[in-house]
Amino acid sequence: MNPTQSIAENTASTTTAETSAPAAVTPAVERRQSLRDYRTPPAPAPPARLDDYQEIIGQANLDSLRFLARDLKGKTIKMVNSTAVGGGVAEMLNCLVPMLTELEVPTHWDVITGGNDFFEVTKAFHNALQGNDYQLTKHVQEIFLMYNDQNMRRMQFNEDLVVIHDPQPAALVRARGDTASHWVWRCHIDLSHPNPEVWGFLRPYVEQYDAAIFSSQAFARQLPISQYLFYPCIDPLSEKNKELDDSTVQAVCDEFGVDRTRPIVLQVSRFDRAKDPVGVIQAYKLAKKYVDCQLVMAGGGASDDPEGAAVLQEVKAAAGDDPDIIILDLPPWCALEINALQRASTLVVQKSIKEGFGLTVTEALWKGKPTIASAVGGIPNQIIHKQTGVLVHSVEGCAYQIRYLLTHADFAKRLGENGREHVKENFLMTTNVKRWLLLFGILSGNQAATLPGVE
Amino acid sequence: MSEEHAAEIQMRKSKKPFYFNTSEHLLRIGREKAANLSELLEALRRCPADSVFQHTFRTLQEHHFIRRGFSNDFAHWALSACNEPALAERLAGVDVRDFTSLEDLRQSLVSVLEDYVQHNPDAATRKADEAFYFCASDIVVLPTSFVPDTLPGFADGLRRVSIHSIHHHFIEARLRLKLMSNDFSQWLLEEMSLPDAARAVNHIDIYTATMDNVRQQIVRIVERAVQ
Repeated sequence: MNPTQSIAENTASTTTAETSAPAAVTPAVERRQSLRDYRTPPAPAPPARLDDYQEIIGQANLDSLRFLARDLKGKTIKMVNSTAVGGGVAEMLNCLVPMLTELEVPTHWDVITGGNDFFEVTKAFHNALQGNDYQLTKHVQEIFLMYNDQNMRRMQFNEDLVVIHDPQPAALVRARGDTASHWVWRCHIDLSHPNPEVWGFLRPYVEQYDAAIFSSQAFARQLPISQYLFYPCIDPLSEKNKELDDSTVQAVCDEFGVDRTRPIVLQVSRFDRAKDPVGVIQAYKLAKKYVDCQLVMAGGGASDDPEGAAVLQEVKAAAGDDPDIIILDLPPWCALEINALQRASTLVVQKSIKEGFGLTVTEALWKGKPTIASAVGGIPNQIIHKQTGVLVHSVEGCAYQIRYLLTHADFAKRLGENGREHVKENFLMTTNVKRWLLLFGILSGNQAATLPGVE
Repeated sequence: MSEEHAAEIQMRKSKKPFYFNTSEHLLRIGREKAANLSELLEALRRCPADSVFQHTFRTLQEHHFIRRGFSNDFAHWALSACNEPALAERLAGVDVRDFTSLEDLRQSLVSVLEDYVQHNPDAATRKADEAFYFCASDIVVLPTSFVPDTLPGFADGLRRVSIHSIHHHFIEARLRLKLMSNDFSQWLLEEMSLPDAARAVNHIDIYTATMDNVRQQIVRIVERAVQ
């Protein structure tokens, strides 16, 4: 078994043998041919139909979606973002748009265009809005507005609800004019500590919307418009989250040298210091003094990001020659493999130092896995300590919880069961569809928002 | 119960059918937030009623799968972010089913906090691990396809509606009815003349059961009534 398999490296080159790896190991890429050729991304699966979700959420919840949509029949929605592929927003829209359309609320998805200069500016804005230092110049503002103007002229906004995702197209709101349509800004990033100059520049545009939506109450700003909380969500029928038969799970474990007869601790994340992968190895080593287990660290980002490659080297150095630490640098389209590893794991760790919402936690909870995670970003929204998982604040705390959960199966099982229910209630794509229908109905005045007992 | 009597109850038709509805909620982020217990108290005094609803009644629905140890968001925060177990226990002891008015519920929570802050001034201003963000619910009530006028039909509806519908009729209802009761008990009493079943349903403990357990208990009570 090669304890530090790097799929991306093996794919790109034949001279990638790690110095720490045993010499006579068949490269992972060759051993995996029987399962799937992962050197190129697989063709996307056709979108699921609403009825496909019936077994998961139940007929009553499906009926609620149809009731909500019935009042909006004939009305239209436009979603606008900055990329058609890659990233969580595009992934979410790929699922959301067909579902709303199937509910007879036709939804159009437009992507803004721009030159490299625009996307350099918006990337800098993105980082600055999440707290990085940035010098906002007049020139940068002009670039931002020029491309927003270009897109305003190119696009039409005849829909009843226009949803603008993230800061890049935020200034499109100037196109709303005197139309009766409703405009909503969906902010997917953490605005809790924004660079004041960049936020000061964007804020007047944001205030022209009817409402803003954030992914966590902690990510929001004080604004004069209504603000709603839409949790990010997962699609339970996607490659990453669909049910797998045991033979698929076994095949993936066999190929990566993961022994399913022994406990498996898993962290899925990019090789990024914010995910504290070295801290995970330290916690595993502390726990291993008392409990037998393997540690699987599955992620990506090392092949397309110099910092990621450096972090991967640090992780390998921290792992040393421990054959029970299995490090997998996977390309982004290995969703099925991640799914299988999550299902094979005994417990899942997400020991991030900084986190957005933490959808890898959502994925683990959905699979009923007892989950240990840091209390950062959106994770406390998902993990209610000792109810749907356990929250930790240190390497030592993480090590203790690994030991505890590996030796208290009943408690671990209950956490996993509660975690899955929590996701089913709050973090599935179908719940997201419901939130959009509710919001659209409330903005349109079709559905009165009523609080029982308040006159 | 004689077979004839059981058969009569089973065939009994209500004048008014039971309209199973459900309520769906959209979470709004409020303006108030608290970084310590004193700030929580101040914010709780002035926050809108729909925030009180969200963090008490509504959070029970969001966390319907938890069997024990979860009561309301204020108690949870007092324990998890402020490490004040005594306060958390007292806040958790505020039972939403004792209230038919959100203002009375607010006052009860405020009283617990006032008392604790007064006797524990150090704890009052100690910074919490994370802030408490007040939210609120926009609620939309929806019909379902279940409109029974017999007990077997009622039991069937109970089994098949969503958990949200059970919460709507069993827990939220008292704010609408202004009665220490719920829609199920009221229908069993007024339409089916089954006071014992109505009372038994109203005595189900929501804090030691999941909402699905509550559903099963109601179904069992209804089934027993027709046996």
